[in-house]
Amino acid sequence: MAMTVKPWQWGNVPGHEMATPVKGDVVAKLVKAAKRPLLIVGGASLKEKLGGKLLIDFAAELAKAGIPTVATAHVYKALKDRGVEPAAIMTVADVTNRLQDPNWSVDGKGPHDLVIYMGVSYQLQSQMLSTLKHFATHLRTLSLDRYFHPNATYSMPNLKEDEWEQALNNVIALLKS
Amino acid sequence: MVEKGPLKISAKELASGLVSAKDIEVLIGRIAMEEEWELLGPTPFPHISTLRSWDHMLLSRYKPFYAPFCDYCCLCTYGKCDLSKGRLGACGINMKAQTARIVLIACCIGASTHLAHARHMVDHLIEKFGEDYPINLGQEIAIEMPHARLITGIKPKTLGDLAYLLNYCEKEVTQCLSASHTGQEGNYLDFESKALHVSMIDHLAMEIADVAQIVTFNFPKGDPNAPLTWVGLGVLDLSKPVVICIGHNVSAGIEVIDYLEKSGLGGPGETVEVAGLCCTAHDIVRYRDQAKIIGPISDQLRIIRSGAADVIMTDEQCIRTNVVYEAQRVKTPVVAVSDKASYGLPDVSELPVEKIVEMLVSGSVPGVFLPDLEKAGAVTAITAIRMAPIRQKFKIIPDPSQIQAQASGCTFCGTCRRNCPIDLPIDQAVFNAKKGDFELLSMLHDLCLGCARCEQVCPRKIPALSLIEAAFQHKIKTEKYRIRVGRGPILDTEIREVGSPIVLGEIPGVVAYVGCANFPNGAKEVGIMAREFARRGYIVTLSGCSAMVASYVRNEEGKTIYEEFPGTFDRGGVVNVGSCVANAHITGAAIKIANIFAKRPLRANYEEIADYILNRVGAVGVAWGAYSQKAASIATGCNRLGIPVIVGPQGSKYRRMYLGRAEDKESFTVYDARTGERVWIGPAPEHLIIALETMEECMVWTAKLCIRPNDTTKGRMIKLTHYVDLYKRIYGKLPPDLHHFVRTEADIPITFKEEIMRYLKEVGWEPWEKPSIDPTLLKRLIRAQA
Repeated sequence: MAMTVKPWQWGNVPGHEMATPVKGDVVAKLVKAAKRPLLIVGGASLKEKLGGKLLIDFAAELAKAGIPTVATAHVYKALKDRGVEPAAIMTVADVTNRLQDPNWSVDGKGPHDLVIYMGVSYQLQSQMLSTLKHFATHLRTLSLDRYFHPNATYSMPNLKEDEWEQALNNVIALLKS
Repeated sequence: MVEKGPLKISAKELASGLVSAKDIEVLIGRIAMEEEWELLGPTPFPHISTLRSWDHMLLSRYKPFYAPFCDYCCLCTYGKCDLSKGRLGACGINMKAQTARIVLIACCIGASTHLAHARHMVDHLIEKFGEDYPINLGQEIAIEMPHARLITGIKPKTLGDLAYLLNYCEKEVTQCLSASHTGQEGNYLDFESKALHVSMIDHLAMEIADVAQIVTFNFPKGDPNAPLTWVGLGVLDLSKPVVICIGHNVSAGIEVIDYLEKSGLGGPGETVEVAGLCCTAHDIVRYRDQAKIIGPISDQLRIIRSGAADVIMTDEQCIRTNVVYEAQRVKTPVVAVSDKASYGLPDVSELPVEKIVEMLVSGSVPGVFLPDLEKAGAVTAITAIRMAPIRQKFKIIPDPSQIQAQASGCTFCGTCRRNCPIDLPIDQAVFNAKKGDFELLSMLHDLCLGCARCEQVCPRKIPALSLIEAAFQHKIKTEKYRIRVGRGPILDTEIREVGSPIVLGEIPGVVAYVGCANFPNGAKEVGIMAREFARRGYIVTLSGCSAMVASYVRNEEGKTIYEEFPGTFDRGGVVNVGSCVANAHITGAAIKIANIFAKRPLRANYEEIADYILNRVGAVGVAWGAYSQKAASIATGCNRLGIPVIVGPQGSKYRRMYLGRAEDKESFTVYDARTGERVWIGPAPEHLIIALETMEECMVWTAKLCIRPNDTTKGRMIKLTHYVDLYKRIYGKLPPDLHHFVRTEADIPITFKEEIMRYLKEVGWEPWEKPSIDPTLLKRLIRAQA
């Protein structure tokens, strides 16, 4: 039976169709199964802490596992410091805008099939996911943030810090295996 | 104007050799009677679709990007209609059109709010000063109302002329709003065109409201040396009776001051403190700089609950709608003066002042509705004096010693955080307080928006906002900053000085920090950004809540930006224009540059002036904490005029941005007016409105959005110096789109020349074939045709 999850922000109820909540190995398998994933890393990743590390540390590990990555806000330097050269530096609106185009990809290697947001502040991310939900039906979206995003195709439910850390570590481990 | 009002000629019967008619009425419109101060341009008094082709030109480059807030349309009785994933509603509307429709409605709300404000102001002032009262902004301002001249073709001379212009505005807002009815407009681009139209009207309405109050109340008339006054939660002398005015329409607040002065009680602060919250505060200090600005909209609950006010006077806009309830909690009576915000209070217009005062002082009513402004001024002042010893500044913000007890019920359920607009860790802060640690609670003061949604949802009824304030009380007295009084318009003489360096790019840009206090990360970011750009030699202009909070960051010497920088509209100047409606002077300055410096015809010539601004005037608006529908229409009005706007992350909830795509070269191709050739100009400016995530990103984009196709090589080099310098500081590398902006080697900043040349070589950059052109989107401006 599917989990019933309330959006993290109580008022953020867009409609009757909301994201499928996913956690545990399912998240890792979703990412692993994607042929052309795209990771979008936002400015909140420089502030969000989990397991004694910053969220950007986890994002960097995902990027190193081979997911093309877009650095939004001012996260480029932090990714670079962690050994990651993102495929692009863009605003989150710019990358989301282009993703509405079914032929667009960040690296010119063919359209993406899974767009993963991580560390973009909750309200802004919710709006970007809404754009893709309505106007990029060719895409699936996943939020790897701790809080349930109803506008995504898949989202983590509202997790405790240790559950979130475990979920991210699972994804990283599976991608690197 | 040479005549008043449209000329009406009536005839019961007219008979000639050619015509025979009865009951004829001929109206000769106002425009026909306008003196010929300049040849009439192509679009006087534009209607809803007059400038549609200009809008569609803009929207073909800056395509609307939609981020719907809700999957449904709930506006008619067929609804709710699910419009998600390509579905159509019962009326046939799709999600793009529906979202554009909501944007249009928001812009109509915003424009109508300023317009109704202007109408009230002008009608009140005509009653007080007469319709022939002249529009005179002094010797150094000949172009008194650039929006009025540009949009309507009218050169207003009296208050009566302003009333006439408002008729036009009211008609246009009605037309635009009607387009949002079910079964009217159905195309998203045409909804956007109407949003752009009504937002243009908004700027005219703001101009009317502000000019009317400047000329009649003798506010500073573009004075760069307007006096410094105080802003902050700690500015009030609480040993005196205190009147706090909340809102945007200063007419009533001025009556309080006039009453005090006429009654021998002295100016503001002598026997009675007169202070304001939100934009009415700006305008009170424009009237008397001894009055005080408490702060932006987000300080309302804080100051009410602190018990500082002995009377609260509300006028209109941005007032907490439960102000009477909150005021009652601290025994503060409310005097509501606006028929747009009367809060269910009894109308006491017919009662004598003494009787009304008695009702308020006795507490027999929580407040009164009193639209008679003169009477309201007297009632407010007298009541404050009588209430002060009774109230003894009664407050409901607990003493610090009570915080722990009030937090003791916290179960750390997280409900408060999950209802905070900016996701603040209120749960953690209150939970820490329960254990005696108030540090996080105190830190939240600077970040909190003051909305109190956290309190509404707390299952244990913990007053989180009051606890945050209680934890910060020990610092309140230090919350005092110097701010320059809003100076109003930019002088024509200043425009003559800076027109050339702005258009040529040698002053790197004009940055306007405007709008509300829905900041993603505290108010101080506005101050940090404003100082950064002033130090870089940009012209920094400010208005509204942003103008207030920009003073909250002091420099190494303890000075606010208003003390550190001059108030001139010039390189490195910091210009507080004033309240929300004074925003029209910022866009008005861009219009004046096109007219005064470039000699472009102004009269009813909107497209050409907007085209000029888009291509030549490096101005950008930053509404980092935009929250209101007014901010939506102000921003959209800037966009129609060719001025790009950045909003903070919360601004994504406006649901629409106008985004260019730099790689779409065709969309950034214009005519060279000299030859008619189509020429690529680079993505300058790349977007018309965009929501950004962080302050750092905002600073980089501010510098970038000031780049214009017409920059000279020296100007482009200066603009790129700032863009590259900020980019390197924040990202640690060169901007990856530099090749879009370097036209020839001469554009390259000298300090980064070698590094940039290496980069350009890597990306295969070649000097542009036609680096210098006369850019225009308007085919009719091609001179070769002529």
